[in-house]
Order: sequence, then structure tokens, then C-alpha cells
Amino acid sequence: MASSFTSLNLNPYPSFRSESDGEINSTNKIKIKMNMNTPPTSSSRSGTRLKAMKFKGTQMREKKLTELIEQKVVEANQVCGEDETSDECKVAWDEVEEVSQAKADLRLKLEKLQQDPLESFCQENPETDECRIYED
Amino acid sequence: MAVSTVYTVQSLNSTFSISKPTKTQLGFNQKQLVFYKKTTTTRRTTTEITCSTGDTVVIGLAADSGCGKSTFMRRLTSVFGGAAEPPKGGNPDSNTLISDTTTVICLDDYHSLDRTGRKEKGVTALDPRANNFDLMYEQPPKIFVIEGLHPMYDARVRELLDFSIYLDISNEVKFAWKIQRDMAERGHSLESIKASIEARKPDFDAYIDPQKQYADAVIEVLPTQLIPDDNEGKVLRVRLIMKEGVKYFNPVYLFDEGSTISWIPCGRKLTCSYPGIKFTYGPESYFGHEVSVLEMDGQFDRLDELIYVESHLSNISTKFYGEVTQQLLKHADFPGSNNGTGLFQTIVGLKIRDLFEQIVASRTAAPLQATKA
Repeated sequence: MASSFTSLNLNPYPSFRSESDGEINSTNKIKIKMNMNTPPTSSSRSGTRLKAMKFKGTQMREKKLTELIEQKVVEANQVCGEDETSDECKVAWDEVEEVSQAKADLRLKLEKLQQDPLESFCQENPETDECRIYED
Repeated sequence: MAVSTVYTVQSLNSTFSISKPTKTQLGFNQKQLVFYKKTTTTRRTTTEITCSTGDTVVIGLAADSGCGKSTFMRRLTSVFGGAAEPPKGGNPDSNTLISDTTTVICLDDYHSLDRTGRKEKGVTALDPRANNFDLMYEQPPKIFVIEGLHPMYDARVRELLDFSIYLDISNEVKFAWKIQRDMAERGHSLESIKASIEARKPDFDAYIDPQKQYADAVIEVLPTQLIPDDNEGKVLRVRLIMKEGVKYFNPVYLFDEGSTISWIPCGRKLTCSYPGIKFTYGPESYFGHEVSVLEMDGQFDRLDELIYVESHLSNISTKFYGEVTQQLLKHADFPGSNNGTGLFQTIVGLKIRDLFEQIVASRTAAPLQATKA
């Protein structure tokens, strides 16, 4: 199992390919480029994310999640170092998964949906600390 | 028709409880759900929410963490129309979504043990002990989706579901997706990603995976067979496994229902680039049930491939020609928009809409029959 995993290319999402050079069905005059989830370069990714990130609270949460991932991975390695088969080891890696997914969900909202999760909260509570406008 | 009062409390750790559906005097099964919300930390307040509705259709969606449930949910809410957002006044980071027509409750928001509690007891989020199944929260919207790790684990909850879906991602694909998700993170490495998957696997196999036998539809995602010895995980083979005999659900088919078909759309009329597209369709047996399986291997490059394929599928419950294509293009930047995952998720969304309309039509007809008797 290990060997088949490590040989996987790090890009599971099919990258957008340029138009095929075959004959195109004549009934379809409009060729819409299907921008199918080209893996973003770090600069393009941060660009779209920063555009959507409006409030300080979201920036704080993103930072917190990043730190939490690091911290939880370190913890998991420690706990599993003692006993790999223990329940505590399983739980530690499960926490890593939860935090990783939470971060990914936030990224999805910011990059793909172009929404700041605090939008509606901040409309009601603009004076709170989290709702200060985030400036890069 | 549906009445409910909602009290919202800002809290990240809450537990809920449920009461069972009751039969009204007329004999329909009216779903009546009571929702108690308790905060587990300093504020010990209880709020009660009662909702009763005859019109809501309840859908269950199960999959492991990081396996595309949220993408699926957004496609689904899009089919029904309206923009879906987290509930106002609630936890803004919640994956619970509400639109005019649909409510999606993310069960994973409400693990009944907080992180420390689970650690003390050695229980992962995957283990049902970590989840309080005595929970349901309802709102008037027409479609009520419960998504999470275990919506179909408990038989009581299964009884409430009008339709259920399981996303079955193979190990190789899951690994590739999680690498894509996590490799940019400072804290992660290939080893940590692998370790996390492997540590969670026993509980996943024991508690999550068995739900697939109960699902009315399973979307299974595997590596492609079109590229010999492919280990890149870029091109996907996706199987839509549809249970036969489910009320209001007519499985999608290719050309001739109940027969076995193998179809490569690329050729003289349609030109595709490598590795192309291959469809199969046919009856199979799945955990002792009769199912129909529609499978797509490969990916779409162009709009005309998509519309061509759509025009050859039957029982897809579209309201107009090209609706599937339109829905896919609407969310072209979502993962899976050019392969079977996006295609089948969209089609399942349309089937759910169709199911909903049939159920509502039958419920409206029922009182007329009761008065006649």
C-alpha cells in the first residue's frame, strides 16, 4: 500500500488542457473554455483568497487554523511515537484531519465562493473586533 | 403549512436531542421533530424548537471527511435554486447551509464530545460514540439534507430519510485528494497525510463504510482504467450505483434500460482528446440488492462533449435540454466539474428534485382520498 501511495502524482485534479485539434461538432459554435480546476499557483491562490477576505476575524481564524494544524501534527507524532496502536494515537491523527478539513473549508469559501464567512455576522455587529476591515 | 420558531444561541459546543415521528389522526406520518439545544460550557441554557411539517423531504448524505460532501451539497442546493448560506446568528464557520428551499445540516458540526472529551475516552470522530444521534433540527424548507460521517448509521435516522446517498472514494483517490488539500499547509508533509489516513482507517472501515449498503445511491470514485498503469490519479473512473425498487426513484440509464451497454462517445461525430471518455451501464448486484450501475471513465474537455453525453442519457429528470450541462458550467471551478463526480452529483441532484416533486404530489393527493373514504 505504501509504495502505490508514494508514486502518486501530487495533482489529482485534471488540469485544463488546451482545445483539441480535432474536428469540433459543427452545431456548437460557442467554445466555452471549461476552466476545470487548474491547480492554482500560490500567487493566484492567494490573490483570489485575499480579495474575498474582508474581515480581521477571518484572517485571525485562518492564521489560527494554520498554527493548529502544525501543532496537532507535532502532537500526533509525539503520541504515536509512544504507542502507535493506541486509541490516543488514532484520536490525535483524527484531530489533524478535522483541523485540515476545517482549513480547507475556509479556503473553499474564500477562493471558490468568494465569500467571507463573517459577512452576515458583521452586518449585524460591525463594531466588534473581528469585524474590523482586514487590510493587507 | 410548516411552523417553527427558532432560537439561536451563539455556541460552538452544543448537544441536541430528538423525538420520534408521530402519526396524526389522519394516519399520515407527519414528521414532528423537537430540538433541544444545550450549551456545554458556562452558559447552561436550554432552548426548545418545535417544527412540524408534512412537506419536507429528508435526504441523507454520507462520506468520510474531506471527500467532497461540501461540493456535492453546493451543487445540490444550486439545482434547487437560491444561494445557500450558513444560518444567520449561528456559527459562521458551520457547514450548515440554508437557502429558500433547502436546509443542509452538517452533522460534523455537532460532535457531542469536544476535542478534549474525545481524547480522554480514546474515541475518534468516526466512532458513533463521538456523535449524538439523538439530534435533528428542522426548518420549513422543502429539502432537508443531513450530511456528515454517519447519517445512515442509526436505524432510527435511516427510517426518516426519503433518500440517501453515499460517496465512496477509493483509497488511492482519497490519498491524492488529501495531498492536494494539505500539501500547501506548513504543518503537513507526505508522511503526516499518510499517517492521518492510516490511523483513521480502522474506524472508517468499521463505522463509516458499512453505511454504503443502506444507501439508495452510491457514487464510487476510483482511479481510471483508460491509462495503463496510471498512478497519477488525475483521471477518474466514477460509478453511479442506483438501487432498484426505491419509491419515486427511477435510475438513470443508457440507451436500453436493464441491458448491458458499453459506450465510447468519441469517434466520428465527437472528437475527444486523450484519454477520452468511456461509459458503461448495466445491472449488478450490490450487497445483496439489485442495482443499476452507470459508469463514466475519463473527462470532458469541451462543452460539446458534455452536451453530447447528456443527450444520450435517459431518466436524468432534467426540465429542459442541456440542464445538466448548464449546472456543470455554473460551477465549472468546483472540483470534478469535468468528470463523472460532477456529472453524477448533478444528476443525483436532479433526481432528488424529481423525487421531491413526486412525494409532494402524492401527499397532496392523499388528503383528498381520505375525505372520499
